[in-house]
Amino acid sequence: MAARKPTFNQHVLIDTTPLPDSIPKVKELGATSAPLMSASFFIGARCKDYNDDFMQCKTENPGKGEFECLKEGRRVTRCARSVIDDINKSCLEQFRTHWNCLEMQNHQLWQCRPAEWKLNKCVFENLGLEKTIPDQPKNSTPVHLRPRQIYANRMIIDKPYIPGEKQPASSS
Amino acid sequence: MPQDMPPKGGYDAVQYKRNLPASPFRPRTLLLGMGLIMTYGWYKLIKGIREQNEYAREKMWSRIHLIPALQAEEDRDLVRRHLADQAREKELLGENIKVYNSDRYVRPTFAATPSVTK
Repeated sequence: MAARKPTFNQHVLIDTTPLPDSIPKVKELGATSAPLMSASFFIGARCKDYNDDFMQCKTENPGKGEFECLKEGRRVTRCARSVIDDINKSCLEQFRTHWNCLEMQNHQLWQCRPAEWKLNKCVFENLGLEKTIPDQPKNSTPVHLRPRQIYANRMIIDKPYIPGEKQPASSS
Repeated sequence: MPQDMPPKGGYDAVQYKRNLPASPFRPRTLLLGMGLIMTYGWYKLIKGIREQNEYAREKMWSRIHLIPALQAEEDRDLVRRHLADQAREKELLGENIKVYNSDRYVRPTFAATPSVTK
């Protein structure tokens, strides 16, 4: 049964022909799901206009958007990449802690609030990007700023970081 | 033969009453207590459901912020493959045949596996 050697053909299934030179090159994001999820709200905060442009272009060119929207697509990628680069430059440690936590916790954001608050603090102080979740009910605390997460497996001891509010001098 | 008669002094009394202890609560108290427990349960349930809704919203928006970047990358890849296919077709057949009766881009069902790629 197991005498046959495993043969993989995935490497021949990929067409590696590069884009023609008439289309400008752009460096791809190159981040996996957990870092992307961790940085998503900051990407949204900085790149909202580019993202909206791209999505509008895709909507206005049904069936041809792949070709018509290359320019907008490059802008989107460049912007998202700049956010991730900036976070890597100034908040690498907090970023890593947070996305590693997400990776371990099945990408459940509510399990990683302490790490997230530290990341939010660092990003807000260094890059000025703030995490906001649109369309939340007005009369309650935004879910990512609640000191108690009902569904979290572990009790949270840390205090949430609210941008612009005076923080009690806390260590770490 | 003499008839079978009841014993002298009659039969013993038949016990048809159950001498169970009375409930420690009156029905009204019981109902009230049940109501309180139910109210607490519903309170926790609604609170939990609302929190879950917020988690779902958060997850949705995190994805919404990412979709353009992911889609842009995918589109570039599709364009690259499409142009490579077209070039290959031109080289092999001499011309590009229009397969579909529309200008829409159709995602290819089959992938070409060129033996030599640069």
